Amino acid sequence: MIVKLVVSRIALAVVTLVTVSALIFAFAEILPGDIAARVLGRETTEEQRQLFRERLNLDRPFYERYGTWLKGSLQGDLGRSFVNGQPTRVLVEERAKNTFSLAAYAFVLYVPATLLLATVAALFHNRVPDSVISILTLASLSLPEFVLGTALMFVFAVTLPLFPALSFTDPSMSFGERLQAMTLPAVTLAVVMAGYAVRMLRDSLIGVLDSDYVRMAMLKGVPRRRVVLRHALPNALGPALNVTALNLTYLIGGVVIVEQVFEYEGLGKLLVDAISNRDTPVVEAIVLLAAAVYILANLIADVFALLLNPRLRTG
Amino acid sequence: MTGRVGWRVPTRRLPTTLRVGGTILIGFFLVALTVPLWAPYSPVETVALPFKGASLDHPFGTDVLGRDVFTRVAYGTRIDLLLSLTSTVIAVLLGAVIGLASGYIGGWFDNVLMRAFEAIVSIPLLILALLVIAAAGPQYSGSLLLLTAVVVLVYTPRVARISRAVAVDLVTRDFLTVARSRGESTWSITRRELAPNASGVLLVEFGVRAGYAPILIGSLAFLGFGVRAPTPEWGLIISENRAALATTPVVVLAPAAVLAILIISLNLATDGLARYLGRTAVRTP
Repeated sequence: MIVKLVVSRIALAVVTLVTVSALIFAFAEILPGDIAARVLGRETTEEQRQLFRERLNLDRPFYERYGTWLKGSLQGDLGRSFVNGQPTRVLVEERAKNTFSLAAYAFVLYVPATLLLATVAALFHNRVPDSVISILTLASLSLPEFVLGTALMFVFAVTLPLFPALSFTDPSMSFGERLQAMTLPAVTLAVVMAGYAVRMLRDSLIGVLDSDYVRMAMLKGVPRRRVVLRHALPNALGPALNVTALNLTYLIGGVVIVEQVFEYEGLGKLLVDAISNRDTPVVEAIVLLAAAVYILANLIADVFALLLNPRLRTG
Repeated sequence: MTGRVGWRVPTRRLPTTLRVGGTILIGFFLVALTVPLWAPYSPVETVALPFKGASLDHPFGTDVLGRDVFTRVAYGTRIDLLLSLTSTVIAVLLGAVIGLASGYIGGWFDNVLMRAFEAIVSIPLLILALLVIAAAGPQYSGSLLLLTAVVVLVYTPRVARISRAVAVDLVTRDFLTVARSRGESTWSITRRELAPNASGVLLVEFGVRAGYAPILIGSLAFLGFGVRAPTPEWGLIISENRAALATTPVVVLAPAAVLAILIISLNLATDGLARYLGRTAVRTP
């Protein structure tokens, strides 16, 4: 039963991924009309454009081109960049490493910050620390990432020169230097993610702290710290875990802006540059990768939910 | 969700968050409507030296071209409110019609449509917006029409999925079976049964989406794919002035604060509305 459900979820994920790939291809190559004119500019001659089309097989019908592109993508061949002729895969792989390390760093900051702030807010429910945390989380939810990043840069790179304002990294840097360069963008991402999660976890923790079993534990003399950490927190995590799954998918989009703010050489910056340069194969590859990560994250969350909650298995 | 509801006028006391958020929003609307009557300068003309700090003449300072930032922000209210609200209204109406119809009709039509929307939603919001802008090509870059279309395209599938879930829940209800057995037409059922019962969810959805639209539009401007200079749009104003952050912080911080106040008031109003209607305001991916 459960195996069948999991297999059907995986099949659905594959169907979605193929549909997305068709959608991306349609947006990037069919809708814009003449790609040759778009890429080369209108001031080129007809012969130049014809040569460009032939070289890239743009004169073939779209379903044939989509087939070739999809087959190539499955085998890891994402075509070549229009701009510098390098294989797209090499460009994307290198940047993907940077982006994934930034995302991982942000996540490492986000989890303990969320737990700590939400617990403090719940324990000081409706008192000063709770109000302060509530205002901070509201602010983090109401500011676009580029404003938040700029503000952090102003405080921690300009006023107090603790971190570099722009996050240049290169392979010769030590781990510590890299970490220092990546701190401000990672903090920006973590702050935005925590804004949501702290509010959810605080509300759910207040509910649990008010429950009979927590009161019972208090009455029988269990130390307060143990009540909070062992009894209340694990039971309050459910809603916050949902938000964390949402946050993972948020990260994929959020990095685009944060990388631009701090000029960090990741996928997001590559995407923005590729759109400006009309470098269609690179745009396609990055969007497909983003969608694939999203679908995979959701698939994992779905399967976990099925394993953890038997009630979901009946549908 | 409780039993059937018809169209009704609020009678209970409105929550404080809705009152506060709503009052600030009305203030923004008044600014947008009346700004040409009282704005001290032109939003696009040089009126002083560049990057002057805050003063009585220039409360938000002046930007790199010596334009008055306060005037630009005041005029920006028009652009940001117009873009955000128009596109969100269109997206919510379009998404509601598609979603409710799809959920009500069901069958293969519903299946195919929802698979397609599932695929669209699996491209992260901002990246989908960038893909649409890339597809439109450089000749449309910066046009208000393209930006509206981008927000509509990005929001509609998300709204449709939520409306569809509401419709799927409603078709099993007794009052709908009763309406059908009374012989009501599909149009009449949509209007009298589906629409009023989905209106709460849709209002909250509208608030949540409207609260994110200015962030999306501003972020696109920051990335260089939003409205074009010299249009006074808040996101563009902030990113234009970013270079002066260390020397004259007010030219960046003041527009950022105004943008934050708009979004906070939209979120407060939505929160109050959701509480009034007995729902929770959650932004789905």
